[in-house]
Amino acid sequence: MHSIWAVATNTIKQALRMKVALVFIILLVVLLPLMGASMTGDGTLKGRLQTFVSYGLSLTSLLLCLLTIIISIYSLTSDIEQRQIYTVLTKPIRRFQLLLGKLLGVILLDVALLALFSAIIYTITIYTPRYFGVSQAELTRLKTKYNQASEAEQLGLEDEIFELEDELYQLNNEFLTARASLIPPEADVTHEVIDIYEELEKTGQLPPGASRKKIIAELTSRKKLEKQAAAVGEDLIWEFNNVKPLDPDQSLFIRFKYDVSVNPPDLHVYSSWLIGDVRQFESGIEIETPIYTFDRKDLIRTFHEIEVPADAVAQDGYLAVGFFNVPLNDTVVIFPLNVGLEVLYKADTFTANFLRAVCLILLRLIFLACLGILASTFLSFPVAVLLSLCVFFTATISGFLVESFDFLSENLSALYSYTLRPVITLLPQFDKFDPAKFLVPARLLSWSLLAKVTGLMICIKASLLLLLALLVFSFREIAKIII
Amino acid sequence: MEYAVETFSLTKIFSDWWGREIVRAVDDLNLRVRYNEVFGLLGPNGSGKTTTLKMLLGLLYPTKGKAIVLGGDGANPKISAKIGFLPEESYLYRYLNARETLDFYGRLFALPHKVRKMRIEALLDMVGLKAVANRPVGTFSKGMARRIGLAQALINDPDLLILDEPTTGLDPIGTRQIKDLILKLVERGKTILLCSHLLADVEDVCDRIAILYGGKIQAQGRVRDLLQQTDKKQITTGSISDTTVQRIKQLIQNEQADCVVTSPMDKLETFFIRTVAAAQQQAQPTSGAVSTTQIGAFLTPKTLTESILDKLVSARVSQEPRPEPPTEQVHPVETSQTKPDEQLLSKLTKPAEPAQPKPVVKNGKAKTKPVKTETPRPAEQTKKSILDQLTGRSTPQNEDEDSDSKVN
Ligand SMILES: Nc1ncnc2c1ncn2[C@@H]1O[C@H](COP(=O)(O)OP(=O)(O)OP(=O)(O)O)[C@@H](O)[C@H]1O
Ligand SMILES: [Mg+2]
Repeated sequence: MHSIWAVATNTIKQALRMKVALVFIILLVVLLPLMGASMTGDGTLKGRLQTFVSYGLSLTSLLLCLLTIIISIYSLTSDIEQRQIYTVLTKPIRRFQLLLGKLLGVILLDVALLALFSAIIYTITIYTPRYFGVSQAELTRLKTKYNQASEAEQLGLEDEIFELEDELYQLNNEFLTARASLIPPEADVTHEVIDIYEELEKTGQLPPGASRKKIIAELTSRKKLEKQAAAVGEDLIWEFNNVKPLDPDQSLFIRFKYDVSVNPPDLHVYSSWLIGDVRQFESGIEIETPIYTFDRKDLIRTFHEIEVPADAVAQDGYLAVGFFNVPLNDTVVIFPLNVGLEVLYKADTFTANFLRAVCLILLRLIFLACLGILASTFLSFPVAVLLSLCVFFTATISGFLVESFDFLSENLSALYSYTLRPVITLLPQFDKFDPAKFLVPARLLSWSLLAKVTGLMICIKASLLLLLALLVFSFREIAKIII
Repeated sequence: MEYAVETFSLTKIFSDWWGREIVRAVDDLNLRVRYNEVFGLLGPNGSGKTTTLKMLLGLLYPTKGKAIVLGGDGANPKISAKIGFLPEESYLYRYLNARETLDFYGRLFALPHKVRKMRIEALLDMVGLKAVANRPVGTFSKGMARRIGLAQALINDPDLLILDEPTTGLDPIGTRQIKDLILKLVERGKTILLCSHLLADVEDVCDRIAILYGGKIQAQGRVRDLLQQTDKKQITTGSISDTTVQRIKQLIQNEQADCVVTSPMDKLETFFIRTVAAAQQQAQPTSGAVSTTQIGAFLTPKTLTESILDKLVSARVSQEPRPEPPTEQVHPVETSQTKPDEQLLSKLTKPAEPAQPKPVVKNGKAKTKPVKTETPRPAEQTKKSILDQLTGRSTPQNEDEDSDSKVN
């Protein structure tokens, strides 16, 4: 252990004194506050903070990833190329201890830098609203002023208070929080689809040239969408179980987006909603939990949220959401798959969520450090960096890659599914676990998800790389020069 | 375990990417280095000296044959803890300063903090770099880096010292010091295996040599046996009158032998050392290996240099009575019969043991505490004790071997 520690501290010294880390540190220390000051987002305070957190974390993550790759590779390859390793390995240290020492050094440096930069981002995020006078204290001040003001002044103040309340509300409920999200389970349509397929086959209406698989996929998505569509005068009901708000005094949010078959003239849809435990209607028992109704008019193709008191949820965590396509409309209303409707509720604080999001970045860095160490056990510095960068960028867009390959034609996709796909699935999915994806919409990043990612990215993938590195390195002839 | 280093038809073939042989760097080498001797490996450039050493240390794997170092595999941590290695060039971390460099290597040996600190200071003193100890070693001159490399090889008080061209880049004083050091270390019972081209150096210190060419041993044996011209004799006298010379010549001619009479020349080395010592005494400025009076003290007066080295290496061997024996010098090992619990004690005093200072308490014989710098005492004595600390422990086993080899 002592030798691992000695190597680790030496690695950190190297990173700091060779000024590799310094470049990145200075860049971030300058850029982050600058971003905090200059990014305005969509103009609202919430938008401003969302952009800042999103870009700030992404930039930090990107730069630290690059730094990790460079340091983890440089540390070992320079030892080999400049031959300090001759004096190190002839001391009583095992080769795996040397590698673990380097890894530990890189990770410790990452932890320190990540802590520093995320602290900067967090502080700026928390203090920006105060700087712009959007705070509870400011509201109280305005209210007392209102109470003491003359009637003429009160009118102006009223607007101001109203605006502030609105902004505070938006900030606290839609950004500085961590909301769990429930998506309605997808309807099972396999049987129906197969029935339709056979029907079409019998009547000979199958489109020529398309494979069975493709037709089934097409039919399935059409059928699923059908289940999410309501013609004029029809209604849709989604049922959720396991809704567990942090406390019943708070609000739930129904977040939704409409698609339509025919654009209404003013691009708005009228609707009527029913939210609560609808089972109470049927059984005819006494109503215990309230059922709320809303009549709304909303712009199509944008997200909206309906706030509902959390007491609408039944004791057992049941909640139903009903939508009625009122006859005022003249179109079928469709809720797009996956994103069409979800129930959001506050499940944790922003701080805890932020912390976990930062951990997500750390996991990335640990993976890259293992990758860099592996690459440097058998490659020279430039080649190892290139390889690691390739892996990094592939992992960053792995979701996009997988999706785009799914659209390939039949023969190509067979080729792909045996070659590239296994490689891509072996890589971690940085984009799927992007911290900004959770923080910007204030979505809960749960401990269990974090544990899952840790298990997958670190315990399996990264340790596999590390194991391979140890294996390669322990058999390598250190003093053999390969040109 | 008769030999400190033994190789059995050790062969190294470097092949290209396709597996075709390109260089046969070491060929069927059978090397035997006894305990407690200085063994010199000579040979022209590219004759396979460095390759051999690398194979001994596990940096290269032999194509054929094997090497046994101190009774085991040189790459095994248990064995390498007892080896000091100075590579061909001083490969150091440029961003660390001299002190940090030694500290790093000391930590790889798991030396406890106190021992590490003491040894580092003693070594810096010894190699004359104390004044520049806080400068990054990247800024050091070649010889200065070499000195740190040497200090690094000594930090674990090794039983076997492997030196690859130890004197390259060193000034004559440094060279002289290394040679002296080697001799003193051998007196202390260490084994030294070195490579060099500088025949004069090798001649001065080596007990036995092997000359390599093309990876094969061409000649091997005791230096004296190889070089002594038994049919010639040399007589050196103080200043004598011409008439005496004439009479001696006459005597020799009576025996039908040739005779040449000259005034002996100083060796250039001796002259150089004298000149630098003089400059040192005038305190002329330098930013090299010696720059303060303290370090000057180490290098300038030949006697002091000697005395430091003496103390460094002869701490255990010397029989001179010590006013206050430091705890590590628990003498039992030197008596021929080793009692079991004393053996345990000396194990405890081994440098790698973290519980190093404990023997004081357990021993019961040494009533004095270990010499610490805090206790006011003459500076000389403090230094002595530090140096004692540095080298004054080796395993009882080794001591036995020492005495063995002396009997032989
Ligand atoms: N990694 C390597 N790949 C190929 N050939 C090598 C390699 N290392 C050494 N050699 C060759 O092996 C031979 C012996 O080299 P080695 O370094 O042992 O020589 P040396 O005796 O130490 O010489 P010098 O006195 O110049 O230090 C040389 O011909 C050298 O070119
Ligand atoms: Mg060599």
